[in-house]
Amino acid sequence: MYGWHLRILRVNLTTRKVTTEDVDPKIARDYLGGRGWAIHYMYKEMDPSVDPLSPENMLIFATGPLTATPAPTGNRYMVVTKSPLTGALAHSNSGGEFPTWMKRTGFDMFIFEGKASEPVYVLVNEDQIEVKSAAHVWGKDTHETTDILKAETSTEARVACIGPAGENLALMAAIMNDKHRAAARSGVGAVMGSKNLKAVVAMGNKNPPLHDPEGMRSISVETSKNVGADVKKGSNMRIYGTSYVPQVTNTLGILPTRNFLQGTFEHVHNIDGDALKDNYLIRHTPCYRCPLSCGRLTEVPDGPYKGKGEGPEYETISSLGTGCGVSNLAALVKANYLCNEYGMDTITTGMTIAVAMEMYEKGYISEDVIGMPLKFGDHDAMIEMIKLMAHNKGFGKDLAMGSYRLAEKYGHPELAVTTRKQEFPGYDPRGSQGMGLLYATSNKGASHMEGDVAYEEVFGVPVKENPLTTEGKPELVKHFQDSFALIDSSGLCVFVAIRYVFDKNRMIWPETLAAMMNLTTGAGYTPEEVMKAADRVYTLERMFLIKAGSGPEWDVLPYRMLHEPLPDGPAKGMVAELDKMLPEFYEKRGWDEKGYPTKEKLMELGLPLN
Amino acid sequence: MMIRVKLIANYREALPPEAKNGVVELNVPAGTTVYDAISRFDIPLNDESVIVLNGLTVDMDTPLKEGDMVTAFSAIAGG
Ligand code: SF4
Repeated sequence: MYGWHLRILRVNLTTRKVTTEDVDPKIARDYLGGRGWAIHYMYKEMDPSVDPLSPENMLIFATGPLTATPAPTGNRYMVVTKSPLTGALAHSNSGGEFPTWMKRTGFDMFIFEGKASEPVYVLVNEDQIEVKSAAHVWGKDTHETTDILKAETSTEARVACIGPAGENLALMAAIMNDKHRAAARSGVGAVMGSKNLKAVVAMGNKNPPLHDPEGMRSISVETSKNVGADVKKGSNMRIYGTSYVPQVTNTLGILPTRNFLQGTFEHVHNIDGDALKDNYLIRHTPCYRCPLSCGRLTEVPDGPYKGKGEGPEYETISSLGTGCGVSNLAALVKANYLCNEYGMDTITTGMTIAVAMEMYEKGYISEDVIGMPLKFGDHDAMIEMIKLMAHNKGFGKDLAMGSYRLAEKYGHPELAVTTRKQEFPGYDPRGSQGMGLLYATSNKGASHMEGDVAYEEVFGVPVKENPLTTEGKPELVKHFQDSFALIDSSGLCVFVAIRYVFDKNRMIWPETLAAMMNLTTGAGYTPEEVMKAADRVYTLERMFLIKAGSGPEWDVLPYRMLHEPLPDGPAKGMVAELDKMLPEFYEKRGWDEKGYPTKEKLMELGLPLN
Repeated sequence: MMIRVKLIANYREALPPEAKNGVVELNVPAGTTVYDAISRFDIPLNDESVIVLNGLTVDMDTPLKEGDMVTAFSAIAGG
């Protein structure tokens, strides 16, 4: 077989038994790879009602057919598991180098089950697989852990690991790879911590053969050239990474500010991409084989926030920055470094602190409980909170549960801005209606990475949609959800692959992506077939959610979005109009009026009926 | 009448030196449209740009009023 190895590695951490198994080529084709394969296995093998932090939960690392191919940005993997933050599905994507090295072990996917009796890491060097003690790195941060494990295995190895946050089961714990890249969202790091699995170390030289290497080479050169032409014109992603976005969302009045009390931030210039570039940028850093290179190495050279690392990205600026009302850039950069070192999702971390700040200012949580004042804009208190969260100390224990549980515990659930208990990313849906529908229906809880219609509503890619209207949004959201399921299953990065899912007329028609999948796998996909496979993946995830108790009753938006109009900016006076979009969305997805996939839809997609 | 033009990120290079925080003030005659204002700057006036008036999506031939802000940024996929 081409493109896929069609081989899975399964590690039972309880028994330390390691097995390998083959993948049925029909399943491989029908579920594409990555995110698609993972949900197929989870749905087939696991009771969706299990406690996410119990040994019964499966933790899956999955590459796609395009991972480790010449395709530009073919450097991704997905971490799929049941989320302890949301109780729904977690599927978090990351790039860097680890995913390519993982695919070169000769396996497409690693499945971790059970729970080790003491801290371990798993070394996969092709067919030599070892479960080794991690006692010496337990408690260490992600950077130290990476250095130590590379030193004791090989400089040729790549490491994905958790930091203290994952060990302490903080519900915003991430899995970091190559130090700076994160499978960030939904608490995947806490699942890894609950299994006493500190790290996964991958190395090898086994790439699956390509079906048409020459064809793949030429399509890759051509697509790289297109990206290169944009970089030459002055691509913002190359110059700024996503850090240029605060100016865009501030202009549209959808920049989450002070826990969504506002949609614009008066000090945005202090913490935007230009400020970052002028003060702390050292150079660009790409993931493996990426012509866009949106990562940025930065350094705060001196002072109390001295440090060096990567980022921050937009989502960090809109959570730990504007979300918390913080305008001190050096402190924000430092907070980002700490999150990476402790292994934490910056969105949930920042927006949880933001809720705590609002509760403090309103007198719902006292200074005694917190241990210090916690006003919006207090960057030093914010940094202190991050440390407490990662180490599960003091008030950090409350924060480590995420904003939904925090707000509920202190009697004000209306202040948590979440869906399926997961914090919103950086686009206020009162001023970007399609994003509201996306957050409400996303299989992983509020997320932009499950069908980012901000591409059209905010960035005009490939066409500009009015963000304030609801017309046409149900169909748009469905198309974006499927397109992202396709990209996530393929092994590419959305930032570049978004080009491959539209045709010349700017309609969703993934001709280029289907061509890449064919040249790689020889599976003979048509664009219709890959879109149908993506629909299959998305719908099966929905079935998992329903069985996990996170079904249609959770397709809602939080109080603030529905009942508190934006007080400022271009979308002033608006609320999210979810009820205008949801029924049509269900219909477009082939779900019944209550939000359950119909029998006809399941049959059409070849999915199990129960 | 006085209006403002704001160019974001890479488009800032097209601004004159007196611009502050990416914003320049312009004195324009009555009847000036969004298109008239933005075409004074060296940025692509096609699908590669997003152009909004006071943060809102409008037609390019919308006439401007005193104090309006026209903002433009690059709409290239992945950047
Ligand atoms: S666009 Fe950015 S995140 Fe995506 S592969 Fe390239 S460097 Fe990595």
